[in-house]
Amino acid sequence: MTEVGVPSIELTRVVRTYGAGSPDEVRALRGIDLTIPPGEFVSVAGPSGCGKTTLLNLLGLLDSPSSGEIRWNDQPVGDRTDRARARLRLEGVGFIFQRFYLLPTLTARENVELPMRALRVPRGERSRRAARLLEEVGLQGREKAFPHQLSGGEEQRVAVARALANQPGLLLADEPTGELDSGNTQAILALLERVRRDRNATLVVVTHNPEVARRAQRHITMRDGVILEDVREA
Amino acid sequence: MMRWGRVRSLRHSRLQVILAVAAIATAVALPVVLVSVGGGVSAHELANLQHAGYQIVVSAGGLHGITHAHNYTSQILAVPGVTAASPVLSITIDAFASSGSVAPVLAEGVIPGEFAPTLGPAEAGLFPKQIMLGDPTDSIHFANGTYRGPPTYDVLVSSPYANQYHVATGSQLTLSPVANQTLGTSYNVTGTFGVPPSVLGPTGAFAVLLPLSDLQAMTGFAVGSSVAPDAADTIQVAVTGSVATNPQALDHLRGQVQSLFPYYGVSSLTQEAQQLEAASGVLTGFYLALSSVGLTVGLLFLALVLLRRVEADRRSIGIRRALGVPGRSIAGEILGNGLLLATVGAAAGVVAGYAIVEALAAWASAAVQEAAQLAVFDPLLLGELVAAVIGLSLLASAVATRAALRTEITEALR
Repeated sequence: MTEVGVPSIELTRVVRTYGAGSPDEVRALRGIDLTIPPGEFVSVAGPSGCGKTTLLNLLGLLDSPSSGEIRWNDQPVGDRTDRARARLRLEGVGFIFQRFYLLPTLTARENVELPMRALRVPRGERSRRAARLLEEVGLQGREKAFPHQLSGGEEQRVAVARALANQPGLLLADEPTGELDSGNTQAILALLERVRRDRNATLVVVTHNPEVARRAQRHITMRDGVILEDVREA
Repeated sequence: MMRWGRVRSLRHSRLQVILAVAAIATAVALPVVLVSVGGGVSAHELANLQHAGYQIVVSAGGLHGITHAHNYTSQILAVPGVTAASPVLSITIDAFASSGSVAPVLAEGVIPGEFAPTLGPAEAGLFPKQIMLGDPTDSIHFANGTYRGPPTYDVLVSSPYANQYHVATGSQLTLSPVANQTLGTSYNVTGTFGVPPSVLGPTGAFAVLLPLSDLQAMTGFAVGSSVAPDAADTIQVAVTGSVATNPQALDHLRGQVQSLFPYYGVSSLTQEAQQLEAASGVLTGFYLALSSVGLTVGLLFLALVLLRRVEADRRSIGIRRALGVPGRSIAGEILGNGLLLATVGAAAGVVAGYAIVEALAAWASAAVQEAAQLAVFDPLLLGELVAAVIGLSLLASAVATRAALRTEITEALR
């Protein structure tokens, strides 16, 4: 775990508008209030275009709110410099993107090593950790394959391994099992749950998969940029 | 690992990369060729000046502008420190060989005894040890300006002319100021001389050397001429060793000669060498300025390639930034790509420039070949050129870097 640790996250009246003032203005989030304590497993569901990905981007500091405030451990982070936010992402956040977003010119292992290299993890440690993560997602023997040589499911598993590379306190996943068969879905979910449990990491997953949602402790349903329902398991 | 990633990234746009490298290589090769050949020719001319057997030149504007050449030569010889003073009159005349062939030749009229000491080591080797032109002082024919003494009727001919027209020592050669053999005078060929290599082509390859007064009388520039009596083009002055090697003493002596003829130009070869060096510097600057056009095109091409790469790698850059890879690391990669391309291009340009000069030296036509053979590759100048290309390419890369870092992450990931 890095010095960022596992953040408690608080969103207050967060609005995100794209193309403000233009005829094509889109209000993706319309005043979200949300608190996520450390270590919680949250699933986010809702129809397409309801603001799930925008919420995920704001939680992971990929984007800034048009208004409202985002706090990590009671510290406002929304207005930090790009450099400071990049550092927080690097140390504290693991992203699993819906479209994997692997770098096409790097091998599977190089993709997994990328965040560690940026964090200046020593070469030996980097190599060991990448090999272990790829093994955990069932990709031993595929380390040297380039993304175009991998199936969709394999790409997704590399993306999961990369997200776990820097042992983040916050894991954000956008349909992490969308390309996986039932067996691999179970394996990846087990891995994410284990990581969450072992490190007390926070896990926020956007999903339509009932199997994934079933494992979550808290279920958020969104529609038209607002939280329609926010239910915690008993 | 990332280094290989960078190379792989460049391989994805192989054609653009090849074109960018070729553009930079061309832009670098051009000044390499121009500056090396130009610098080599200048250095050669400079060496010729520095190795001349004379150190001071008296000259005048206009055709055969020095008058009273014999008289002035005597005055110069009286200046302490002067070892020889050689007036030279150069006129194109017609030479009629005994075989009947006629050719224009450059005739040089000299005082034989004064001419020899003004030859530099390289030139002296081209002439016979004793210049066989009769009276070495040229005073018998000149006879205090009366030209009452007999001409020597001796002439030396250049080897290219002798070979071309089968003129041998001991044969007769008719020299005439006009294209009419009956108006000419028959001379004895007493020897031959070689012609120094000239980067300006074969001018002067067909030449004859004869006593000054003979040439003056033959061409109408003798005493009594209303145009230029007792004419010469220049008077070359050789000085003793210690004065020759001391710039201040040489300049003092030059001043003494100048004071004799305030209306003529009197310059030392040191001054001429400085002027040549200055001219060479101006030419080098001009070549570099000319080449900068090509260089600008090459670097613009590089900037376009990098911008195109940034555009194509928009998502990859967005992913890196999303993962938290620092902007400076991404910038470093783009700058590194630019640096790699510029370095490869500049190195290829230097090699190509060298190869072009070598090819010109081996296969080009005469004058170009000769110039190319004199080319000098100045490592300092080439290093500066490569450094400038790399520096400018970093500037071009900075444009692409700025574009990359201004991309919104969420935009790039769409």
